[in-house]
Amino acid sequence: MSSLLEVTGITRCYGGTPALSEVSLSLERGGVLGLLGPNGAGKTTCLQILSGNLAPSAGRIEVCGIDLERHPIKAKRHLGYLPERPPLYPEMRVDEYLTLCARLHRVPARQVSSAVSRVKARCGLQEVGRRLLAKLSRGYRQRVGLAQAIVHEPDLVILDEPTEGLDPEQIREVRLLIRELAAHCGVILSSHILPEVQAVCTQVLILRSGRAVHQGPLAPQRELHRSGVFRVRLERPAPQEALLGLPAVASVLAAEDGTLRIDLAPGQPPSALARALVEGGWGLRELTAERTDLERIYFETLGLALEGPDAETQGAGHQGGAVAAPGVPPGAAPGAASRSSAGGAPWS
Amino acid sequence: MVLTLAAREWRAGLLTPLAWVLLAASQAVLGWTFLQVLERYAGLEAAKRTVGLTLELSLNLWGFAAALTLLAAPLLAARMFAGEREQGSASLLGAAPVSILELVAGKYLGLTGLLTLVCLLPPLLGLTLVGATELDPGLLAAATLGLWLSTLLFAAVGLFASTLSAQPGVALVVAYAILLGFSVVGEAGRLFEPASTLFDWLSWNGHLLWFLIGAVRLSDIAYFLLFSVLFLALTHRGLANRRLR
Repeated sequence: MSSLLEVTGITRCYGGTPALSEVSLSLERGGVLGLLGPNGAGKTTCLQILSGNLAPSAGRIEVCGIDLERHPIKAKRHLGYLPERPPLYPEMRVDEYLTLCARLHRVPARQVSSAVSRVKARCGLQEVGRRLLAKLSRGYRQRVGLAQAIVHEPDLVILDEPTEGLDPEQIREVRLLIRELAAHCGVILSSHILPEVQAVCTQVLILRSGRAVHQGPLAPQRELHRSGVFRVRLERPAPQEALLGLPAVASVLAAEDGTLRIDLAPGQPPSALARALVEGGWGLRELTAERTDLERIYFETLGLALEGPDAETQGAGHQGGAVAAPGVPPGAAPGAASRSSAGGAPWS
Repeated sequence: MVLTLAAREWRAGLLTPLAWVLLAASQAVLGWTFLQVLERYAGLEAAKRTVGLTLELSLNLWGFAAALTLLAAPLLAARMFAGEREQGSASLLGAAPVSILELVAGKYLGLTGLLTLVCLLPPLLGLTLVGATELDPGLLAAATLGLWLSTLLFAAVGLFASTLSAQPGVALVVAYAILLGFSVVGEAGRLFEPASTLFDWLSWNGHLLWFLIGAVRLSDIAYFLLFSVLFLALTHRGLANRRLR
């Protein structure tokens, strides 16, 4: 059986300048693909091509085995698309608009009403059905945009920055909705927020200057912290050798804010680190997961330093130096101590 | 699908002030013209009346209505595609399982539906004379048909111009430029010796004049339908090309 989405070598040129070059990807039902990249990387162009709004200069797109270029009407029946700016008609009411969207997506006439009711319930729009779209807040507009993308229950949902403009509670709801959607269809979403992609995606595609520079699966959220970097704050200074001697610790770095960045040894759970620190008698005050796998991949792939303001603006939440540990990219800050190269680090 | 799209355009047109303002302004101007024609005609002695009241009304009222729809069509058409692109809703139609043909047909039907309301204003004014004087219903029907066919052409030109830009203002200027060209192209024929009939044929006003004097000719119907279809085909081409640009 063919994939839900099979993209082979799509290229898009604007006046001879390639905005997207030879991008290929595949998505199965139940998969959530995160599309990442800096501004101008080609994310929106890619999504516009996948949604049928733009034609690729070269390449092939198959949705549920149907060629999007040769049979656009058949293929688009399986698609739902939320662009960066929700495609709303301000003079319409929410109910009217969703009814129109259901009809445009060829929902059978008898099922339009129930489809609209169902999608309103899913997107929390029951209270605003009679409201004019022009009068809605940005968050509600985004929800209506999301509702129009899924009113016909498509097999593939394409979301361009779906949580843009939403408050934290709404972001959480959208993430839950995406997970719910992923139970029976495929989802592609682009986002600048790395933790968001990490939280909901099963695979990631990183674009840079129109080229796919990384593509691969993402570890589920629950497995993220089994190995990784943790920020640790202790009540009493701990000797470096003692920490490095702990089986759960691969390397240690002292940050300027008085915390430690401890890289877990492979296969060690965070609970082992917590237990060792408590049993060491140093007084564990804080143990927080530091950057995620995705952040590591993202910055490595784009050749960016893990430290500094860039990392923070990309949502990494990384405030201190990097940790020299196996697999850590170049650019790790001096001052790191590891099992293999301990000593000389100005920490605690 | 075509009806769904047309109905949306109808609703959008009637829910926004533009269509109502155009209708109200058209009614005011046509009403004033109607009264002017009646006053002038009634003030003439019978011997000086070279044409009947029906023809007077047809040439002045229906002719003026054609000029109004020429102005109104690009205004309403500009938001059809250019407006959708400007407000970002074009991507909804682009991602929906709707063919370009259905899209063009739906928008065109919605647009001509709105403009047909303007075309109905002169016959409605003419109806106020029922019982007061005898009018030639055949001539007025021919004039109304001519007015409506001209409106179909203006709407097609407006729709085509709307595909050329994401700025409704630019689309409006382009549409007026094309329509102005079609209006004055007949005069260009005078530059040649002997005068070229091709330029006369290209001009829409000459064809409308035959309808206004009560002559329904297949060649004139074919002219309006031919150019309407031509601009709709260009609209289709413009939308198809937009995916490639």
